[in-house]
Amino acid sequence: MPFRRSEAGPREWIDRHRTVHFTFEGTRYVAFAGDTITSALQANGVQLLGRSFKYHRPRGALSMANHDVNALFTTADDTNVRGDVTPVTDALDVRPVNVSGSLARDAHRHLDRLGRFLPAGFYYKAFHKPRWLFPYWERLIRRRAGLGTVDSAWTPRRRPKRYGYCDVLVVGGGPAGLQAALGAAEASLDVLLVDENPHLGGSLDYEWVTDPAAPAQRDELMEAVAASPAIRVLTSAVALGFYTDHWVPVSTPEGIIKVRARGVVLATGVIEQPAVFRNNDLPGVLMASAAQRLLHRFGVQACERAVLQVNNPEGFAAAEDLRRGGVELQAVVASGPGVQKADAAALVDAGVPVHFGWAIVEAHGDGAVAAATIAPVDAGGVPDQTHARRIDCDGVVSSAGWGPAGHLLYQAGGRFSYDDTLEMPVPVAWPDTVVPAGRMNGVFSLASQRDDGRDAAGRLAAALAGGPVSDPMSNRDTRAHATPWPVVPHPKGRDFVDLDEDLQYKDLIQGAREGFDNVELLKRFTTVGMGPSQGKHSNLNAFRILARYLGQGMDETGTTTARPMYHPVRLEDLAGRRMRPWRETPVQAWHGEHGGFLMESGEWERPSFYGEEADAQQVIASEVTAVRTGVGIIDVSTLGKIEVLGPDAATLLDGSYTMRQGNLRAGLTRYALRTDDTGVIVDDGVVGRLAEDHYYLTATSSHAEGTYQTLTRHALEWGLDVHVVNRTGQLGALNLTGPLSRRVLEPLVDVDLSEAALPRLGMTDARVCGEWARLLRVGFVGELGYEIHAPAGTMARIWDALMDAGAPLGIRPFGVDTQRVLRLEKGHIIVGQDTDGLTNPFEAAMPWAVHLKKPWFVGRPALAHLKGAEQRKLVRFVMAADSSAPLPRESHLVIRDGTIAGRVTSIARSPTLGRPIGLAMVDRDLAEAGQALAIRGDGGRMLAAEVVTETFYDPDGLRQNADAPEVTP
Amino acid sequence: MPWRLLKIGLRGAHKEPRFFPEPADLRDSYDVVIIGGGGHGLACAYYLATRHGIRNVAVLEQGYIGGGNTGRNTTIVRSNYLTPDGVRFYDASVRMFQRLSQELDINLFYSTRGHYTLAHSDEAMRTMRWRAEVNRHLDVDSQVVDRDAVGRGIPGLDLDCGGSQPVMGALYHAPGAVVRHDAVAWGYARAATNNGVEVHQKTRVTGMQVENGRVCGVATDRGNIRCGAVVSMVAGSTPRITEMAGLSTPIEIFPLQACVTEPVKPFLDTIVVSGSLHVYVSQSSRGELVMGASVDPAVLHSTRSSFEFVEGLADRIVDLFPFTARLRINRQWAGMSDMTPDFAPIMGTTPVSGFYLDAGWGTWGFKATPISGSTMADTVANNRNHELIEPFRFDRFADFQLVGEKGAASVGH
Amino acid sequence: MQQLDCPIIGRRPISEFVYGGEVRRPPPGDAPLADVADHAFNRTGQPTVLREWWFHRPTGRWFVLERNTLSNVVERVVPPQEVAYAIPTL
Repeated sequence: MPFRRSEAGPREWIDRHRTVHFTFEGTRYVAFAGDTITSALQANGVQLLGRSFKYHRPRGALSMANHDVNALFTTADDTNVRGDVTPVTDALDVRPVNVSGSLARDAHRHLDRLGRFLPAGFYYKAFHKPRWLFPYWERLIRRRAGLGTVDSAWTPRRRPKRYGYCDVLVVGGGPAGLQAALGAAEASLDVLLVDENPHLGGSLDYEWVTDPAAPAQRDELMEAVAASPAIRVLTSAVALGFYTDHWVPVSTPEGIIKVRARGVVLATGVIEQPAVFRNNDLPGVLMASAAQRLLHRFGVQACERAVLQVNNPEGFAAAEDLRRGGVELQAVVASGPGVQKADAAALVDAGVPVHFGWAIVEAHGDGAVAAATIAPVDAGGVPDQTHARRIDCDGVVSSAGWGPAGHLLYQAGGRFSYDDTLEMPVPVAWPDTVVPAGRMNGVFSLASQRDDGRDAAGRLAAALAGGPVSDPMSNRDTRAHATPWPVVPHPKGRDFVDLDEDLQYKDLIQGAREGFDNVELLKRFTTVGMGPSQGKHSNLNAFRILARYLGQGMDETGTTTARPMYHPVRLEDLAGRRMRPWRETPVQAWHGEHGGFLMESGEWERPSFYGEEADAQQVIASEVTAVRTGVGIIDVSTLGKIEVLGPDAATLLDGSYTMRQGNLRAGLTRYALRTDDTGVIVDDGVVGRLAEDHYYLTATSSHAEGTYQTLTRHALEWGLDVHVVNRTGQLGALNLTGPLSRRVLEPLVDVDLSEAALPRLGMTDARVCGEWARLLRVGFVGELGYEIHAPAGTMARIWDALMDAGAPLGIRPFGVDTQRVLRLEKGHIIVGQDTDGLTNPFEAAMPWAVHLKKPWFVGRPALAHLKGAEQRKLVRFVMAADSSAPLPRESHLVIRDGTIAGRVTSIARSPTLGRPIGLAMVDRDLAEAGQALAIRGDGGRMLAAEVVTETFYDPDGLRQNADAPEVTP
Repeated sequence: MPWRLLKIGLRGAHKEPRFFPEPADLRDSYDVVIIGGGGHGLACAYYLATRHGIRNVAVLEQGYIGGGNTGRNTTIVRSNYLTPDGVRFYDASVRMFQRLSQELDINLFYSTRGHYTLAHSDEAMRTMRWRAEVNRHLDVDSQVVDRDAVGRGIPGLDLDCGGSQPVMGALYHAPGAVVRHDAVAWGYARAATNNGVEVHQKTRVTGMQVENGRVCGVATDRGNIRCGAVVSMVAGSTPRITEMAGLSTPIEIFPLQACVTEPVKPFLDTIVVSGSLHVYVSQSSRGELVMGASVDPAVLHSTRSSFEFVEGLADRIVDLFPFTARLRINRQWAGMSDMTPDFAPIMGTTPVSGFYLDAGWGTWGFKATPISGSTMADTVANNRNHELIEPFRFDRFADFQLVGEKGAASVGH
Repeated sequence: MQQLDCPIIGRRPISEFVYGGEVRRPPPGDAPLADVADHAFNRTGQPTVLREWWFHRPTGRWFVLERNTLSNVVERVVPPQEVAYAIPTL
């Protein structure tokens, strides 16, 4: 039974002067500030902390090092909280996970008895026959899934992520890391030292406590680090992974810091590995380092009477440590190459029964440890059960060996090999700028860990200075620190290899026997190492078991990939601050103030129309009518606006667009269509020429950046003397259009607007309201119109002036949806709506836009072959005016003889023509004037349409004459 | 308790038969060599043996079976494609998947969960309707649903997506399913080997012998093999294999990443995809959220992970499901995807006689496993493309006869 | 996050860059279909040192890198003149 010691230890993390109160399963407990959930519960004598994933077996503390995934908890605003490392706070309400009812009386605890019926991979072998029953089983199994429960009321805490920069990042603040940080600082490098614990010191806190030399060394290191201006320290900071170019995100209680280092020292230490024996999962069975952490960090004695298994010198030190801490050592069993009798001298002197050549073969107890059975083992680790002896105890502590916390080194491209002397994997290759140090590097004594840290820093400094990097000094130990076979299988099982996943020895053997006999297949079949702790205390033993089963070495057996994250990290921390940049046109505020129904459009928000959503159809129709009969104005500032200057400007545009642009006269514009190498339409716009060496062009809103990128790339690719300037954000634009548009504009400009002076498709720079602007007589909507491009700073003024000037003429602002109807009446396509990812200009019925007379342009080689070969074609269609049936929708299919023969790409009830009109991409042979189309509308209702060839509205463009009688003042 | 588990429990798991036979020696000649021991290759071997009587087949796998993209994908099966060619092909695949557990006698945990593809714009709604119309025309159960129906179908989803790109509706595809990916490979491997096929793991193909335009063998790191037909059914390594055969292809390799959270109790029963937000997510039968996004932005032959991938994904997931903010990402990984210009695979015969290609699977190869295996087996047995794969033929690029899936599937898991 | 050397302002995170794909020279405007298709679609798919276009958005500049697509190591910045070619004009 664990309890809190009365006397404080020298390195305690708890503050005995500050108590906190918390609740666990409804019971109120007292703890000290600095306690974790687990340490607090242990101090209160609570050992049963969780139920296991599969069998719902009782579980307790195991590592106290952020690997205790059988002691997960739910709080008011979080779940799967790791009790071994999560601080208790005042009024914290803690509940266990994966429990039905209370921990002690979990309704699913009987599952443990069904274990024999649920071997590894059992779910692959059952429930699928008969097929109709599977959904029933699936529901049952799915209900059992998962650990904690999320609460749909939780709201994200999105905090900014930060960036960190340093010359050297040292991960791990134990003796090697501290020393490495000092070494790097001495080499005049800027150092960031991170440690996942709330305090620096690593094993100095709890493991070297019995070493008389250690406290002084610790103080010296800590003081030197604290005094060094070159070293910044982050505690409670987990290095999550190593990514390309020394990018190491560090998770802290304040959020994630993304650290870019020039070099990294990985002094990440080792992870103690459990011994495998029957009932090694009972609460009260824990690893020696866990018992020491409890003792020295939290003042908690893990038990009163312990049986210890020791397979290395650290184990003897821990035993002595616990003994001095007041634990009665009922027996210490020690075996394997890591055991030297001299290490046990203190224990033997103190009268502790030490059994050399013995191991624990079983723990006993109902819900908690009550006894352990020990027995002699032979050189191969096989116990002699005839001499087994049962010893009463309330704690079973093992020190069976270590696995390197080498995840980041592996991710950095390092390689590990199993060291048969040390009996653990050690790094054998790593990049010059990512260097292992300390116990992860197989270096064990305190002095040599410090040497290794200093050495790592030295070699890293040399690498960063670009100098030669000396071969690493080998500080590695020359004796075993583990038993090669910490496994005592039991005929009755419950000898757990993976506590996350409830995998027993026999499960792994069974997997291998069935043919899943390499590490990856074994992992996937049995799920070993796939639980929340990601194999940190199961992989090494699983690989040992597989290697022995296959009769091969550890390296030959291999290892699975150590992927990020090192510890799990919250989605909200990864997400960070929510950042959705958006852009505003110079007239944005006006739209909002005047009833614009705003819709997101890429980075922009544009008015669809001006009115209520419920009235959309009527509003759009009235805006259409206003444009057709009076004057309308639309904000088109989102258009791409690009200036092209230089002697090769014409060559660039001739090569980039399908139509000729080189023969354009200054002062005129021309439609511009862009295709890719495969001849597929990418974008369209207008190209205008201002001078021999000066063009100005527009692109659609979504292709503004893409057009700029394409043109600048071609300029380089074709070796052209040309300069391309993207003015999209710098200029605003509006389109003033309708028969009365000239009358509105004329009084405000300093140029002649007559057809002769500024003809259709003309372009000129002018003053509008005294401000510089560029006028383009282009019209997407099919009426006389003026695109006015002006600097963003003056655009709103121009807009307001036009609205004022147009007020007596009934000027209406109109939105994007209205513009779509207007352009459809005029038969203009929208790239991306009327075309898809494979449409070429011939299919889009725009052969006139492809100037194959040009020897070359992007897409020409393909289009030369595709001309005449199109199998589908974009057509205009009309529907009966009097039909009261709902219109087909965009993307409804054209059906012929029961097969798909096309689809509607655009459709609207035309306010101007008084009938439904549309565009459809149809099979080529349907693209004839007068052809009847059958369109399948909502509910499968077939609707009749007819292909027409003539433009729906004003086919001869008469409405765009600036001198027409109705438009002149 | 099912009878099968009772039997195992009473008799002891140690009496369970081997799943896979002991590995055999590599022989120097086979009728057919299949390169790639993933789901596709193993399925092809199985159908060659069972439907076409071709049993003298070796499947060569450079790593371990199912260790490539079969074991790295997010296990989604669906048929809500855009083109009739795609819909027919994947619908056949879904139908095979639905009965595969029984045929292979392994529980694949084929779980029909329903599949929402969210639309956040008018453009996306148009595409959803297009897919729904084509799907329904071919008797595939897909429909456009409105914003309210999305809200009802996906409890907990924030329809406003955190304040931008609100959900306008979705394409709902009722047959959308998830399935245990590894088990698909194992089931086919066992069934194939039971029918005489040899599966050789840790056997890397290093060269191909082509004489007079006809393939006659492959070189491996375990020796040379003579054979009458070679079928490349790899992913991520396709260009290395086609180079051995002297063929150029449009295939480029891009990493595709995925990640899982720690397991929590089930709260998400459907599969949710958002093309605009570049995410897809489902909750596995273990309780983990399994999530992915679109391929990485540049060509790379590597399965390294990137942090920006999980950052971006988390950002979007928290917008979609705000209460998942406390869930923790446990593990991320990557596969290498064969990308093609038209987002459709390249299948069937090639200009090299006897060399067949099953490649270009982009980010959606897993869901085609049964149908690829069966149509490729048919193609190899008859030396002409099965009708379902004819649209995906090797020479469609030379003819500019591309498949029009591009509009549908930039993130289409 | 990986960094690339922007020729203008030095090492920058890869998120600032747009991948422009493999450098390939197009066929003449009247090339046979097979050549057109080869250029339009086929790519160097196998791992190699690939010449590729990259665009740095903040500076608005394109440049060409030689990058090992297996190791992800940039081996050389290629002067644009090395990949430039003249296009035929009327």
